[in-house]
Amino acid sequence: MPAEPGAAPPLKPNHHLILLLLAEEPTYGVDLLERLDRRSGGAIRLNAGSLYRTIGNLVDAGLVEPLDEASGAEGMGAPRKVYRVTPHGLAALRAEARRQESLLEAARALDLLEERA
Amino acid sequence: MKHLLRALLWLYPPAHRRTYGEEMLTVARFRWQAAGGAARARLVVVADLALGAVGVWTDRLGSSTTGVRGGWPTDARFVVRSLWRSWGYTATTMAVLACSVAAAATVFSFVRGTLLNDPPYPEPERVMVVWGSNVDDGQLRDVISGPAFIELQRQASGFALIAAFHRGAAYLLVDERPVVVDALEVSADFFRVLDVQPALGRLLGEQDRMSGAAATVVVTYPFWRDHLDAHPEAIGASLPFEGEARTVVGVLPEGFEFVAPAPLFIPLRDDVLAADHPGRIHYNVLARLEPGVGLADTSAGLARAAERFRDVYPGFEGWSFRAEPLHEIAVASVRPVILTLATTVSLVLLVALVNLATLFRIRTLARRDELAVRMALGAGWARVARILTLETLLLAAGGAALGLAAAPFLLARVSEMVPEWIAIPESASRLPVLRGVFDPAVASMAFAAAVLGTLALTVPSLLSVRGARGLGPGHRAHGGLRGTRLLVGAEVAVATALCVGAGLLVRSADHLLSVDVGLEHDGLLTFYHGDVWGAVAADRTTYFRGTVQAVEALPGVLGVGVIDYVDFEAEDDFARIYVLDRSLQPTRDMREEWRRVDNGLFDAAGMRMLAGRAFEPDDFLGTTRAAVVNEAFAKKHWPGRSALGAFLSTHDAAYRDLEVVGVVADVRSLGPAVAPPPMLYVPLQGNPRGTMGMYVRVAGDPMSHAPALREAIWSVDSSQPITSVWPMTAFVETWVAVPKAARALVLSLAALALLLAALGVFGVVSYAVRTRRSELGVRLALGATPHRLQRDQMRTMLVVVVAALVVGLAGGVLAARGARGMLYGVSPLDPPSVAFTILVMAAAALLASYLPARRVGRIDPTEAMRAE
Repeated sequence: MPAEPGAAPPLKPNHHLILLLLAEEPTYGVDLLERLDRRSGGAIRLNAGSLYRTIGNLVDAGLVEPLDEASGAEGMGAPRKVYRVTPHGLAALRAEARRQESLLEAARALDLLEERA
Repeated sequence: MKHLLRALLWLYPPAHRRTYGEEMLTVARFRWQAAGGAARARLVVVADLALGAVGVWTDRLGSSTTGVRGGWPTDARFVVRSLWRSWGYTATTMAVLACSVAAAATVFSFVRGTLLNDPPYPEPERVMVVWGSNVDDGQLRDVISGPAFIELQRQASGFALIAAFHRGAAYLLVDERPVVVDALEVSADFFRVLDVQPALGRLLGEQDRMSGAAATVVVTYPFWRDHLDAHPEAIGASLPFEGEARTVVGVLPEGFEFVAPAPLFIPLRDDVLAADHPGRIHYNVLARLEPGVGLADTSAGLARAAERFRDVYPGFEGWSFRAEPLHEIAVASVRPVILTLATTVSLVLLVALVNLATLFRIRTLARRDELAVRMALGAGWARVARILTLETLLLAAGGAALGLAAAPFLLARVSEMVPEWIAIPESASRLPVLRGVFDPAVASMAFAAAVLGTLALTVPSLLSVRGARGLGPGHRAHGGLRGTRLLVGAEVAVATALCVGAGLLVRSADHLLSVDVGLEHDGLLTFYHGDVWGAVAADRTTYFRGTVQAVEALPGVLGVGVIDYVDFEAEDDFARIYVLDRSLQPTRDMREEWRRVDNGLFDAAGMRMLAGRAFEPDDFLGTTRAAVVNEAFAKKHWPGRSALGAFLSTHDAAYRDLEVVGVVADVRSLGPAVAPPPMLYVPLQGNPRGTMGMYVRVAGDPMSHAPALREAIWSVDSSQPITSVWPMTAFVETWVAVPKAARALVLSLAALALLLAALGVFGVVSYAVRTRRSELGVRLALGATPHRLQRDQMRTMLVVVVAALVVGLAGGVLAARGARGMLYGVSPLDPPSVAFTILVMAAAALLASYLPARRVGRIDPTEAMRAE
């Protein structure tokens, strides 16, 4: 039984990014990588080992779940499991967003963001 | 590429590989192709796949996936707290391991020091001892004469170098008084045979070989440090010896230790060796094999040398040379004892590990509820296994560390029990016992064996935890006890076998200690005195008579005797002896040991006369002189008839036409387990040696008389040296020290094994009673008597114990048959030893099961059922 997301520690950056991407749209590994590359402008480049370590952790924590196996739609025959965010995952994202929001507010109060703008 | 990526998948935990493996391959191929020809990017793909495995394993063993928070530090804190709470369990397991590791480190230090360590000279396999041997006389390992050595040097092939040495004494003048220092007379090639290099100056060589060579001496490092002030200019300095001064030419390297620990090495010239009497056997021989030559290749050359020697010097029929490796001789006598100890301690270590596994299993079974709750709360079994492993590691490492800390002290105690010298079988020579030194390598091995062994043995229990997943609290696991009982049974069997062995060794040592050695060693003080070689026989006799009278006059002295070689000192002295007929013509001749003694010797030593009489003061007057033989001599040469009245002559002109007037009991001077050698005693008046041994029987502690004795001897002639002052008991003890030490060690180890086995029995019964509280409560409520329930609890365990006892007894007796050589006076199936073992093991098992079973009586039925 996974712990309450609200009580969980802050999400790790990799976990957070992948949760966000999957929250936009359930998808499979290669697509996830490409979107991640695009979204981070190449700054975050996961590979097979690190990607599936992260996915494994998210599945074990109950934040992400695999959909039933889908065969390779593009005819490549490669197995292609599609993952989506669970309600727990959404709750964790919300909690993370709230946490970051409060951090942002604190930063704003110090005029940190204004200065940059 | 494809294969490489797939192979890397095997680094991952199986579950991860099964779930994500194919997808990971797809992603990795995608990245690989995207990388194009860029080697760096491809390397990143491979590295990421490999490092990802490390990450996933870490996650698995860590806590990030379990939902129960906290990593290693949290778990470690938890483990320490839980061990602290059950301090009885903690203390017991750590003590068990500490005792076994300390014992193992000690015994294996000895194994390494004696059997495995290279001797302190290079290429030990090439260094041989060459003995003189006469199979007809039963002499297999004899020293040889100077002329025999010269022939050996000339004729023997296959040896690069051959050297003679003789252990003796030198009289060093300190404040003009002679102080005796052990010295080794060594021929020119001695140090080259051993391949030693000097620390300073030079060792002996060609310039010391020939007559007219300067009087030189080589000293050991400790002698140079303590007596020559470690001065580099000590080389070339002159050391004053009685008679002549010797120039120090070299210092041996620090730590050089040869078979005889003498501080001085004096050259033995070839001309001195050649001029020696061919029958005066005196020298040990060392030889270095030529490279590539085996021991077997030397036999032809040795036979040739012996033949040549027999041709040149008639009268040595049946005489030959024999070579054997020096190191092999040095370890041969201790090997059986050391191997027995090593086997014993390995078994004890094994019992200790099994015991730990048992205790751990019982603890895990008892904690199944707690563990099930933890798993129900979301802790993966990996996490629980981690906690249990951590606990085991902590206990094992802690116990082993305690044991290692105790090992040096134990080693020191054991070293005290081991004699400094051991006799070489079938020889009058002795070798120093190589010592066990506390060895970090041995210590680390004992530590690793303890920790890894404990871990390995706890794996089954760890796996059994997996089975607890999904079990609710209150679920009992009695099934686990069956395996545990068998483990305890194995412990009992091994402990039984060890007890049988210990019992046999105890009885064997007792037999050895109670053997009549032929003289009363208690209250006997022995020493050598005099250096009157230069005087004529009559003056030497007068001198020794004078010292006897001076000593006899001392208060507390009950008897005084003189003998040329002190018994039990492992010295031998052979004479050529001719048996004469009535007309005093020689009929046959032989080589036997002989001793020159005075008329007080037999009485002072407490030697029993079996027939005839002892010597009298004027036995050496007149034409026929008296001789006394020992029982072995009489039985060997006059079997079935009386030796009294027989006539003998010796090679020594002073001892011709001797009439046997008495037969004295044998002195077992080669040790209690060795048949006493035939011995001829002649009166010393004929031709005493320049140095003689003295036996003084005193009232009270022998050593307390030593100062007065010295003064009495010096009152006759203050320039005469006195050496080797020892109570006779010390020599006799040397012979039984190894069996005594083995007895003490095996006894302690068997006691440890017994304790461990009892602990195992206690643990199992105790656990059974605790987990069956409610069931027992119900049965009590239904009218069963506590007594009956107690018996039930004990019975299951005791059935296993009885079976184990039978197996252990059989194993012990079989092992004892294999080690029969170590037993003296007892058969492997010694009824008292077997009976004792059964008694002790049965008592221990009964007590160990009765104590916890007694708790049945304290169960309150209502409370037990309410708890359920």
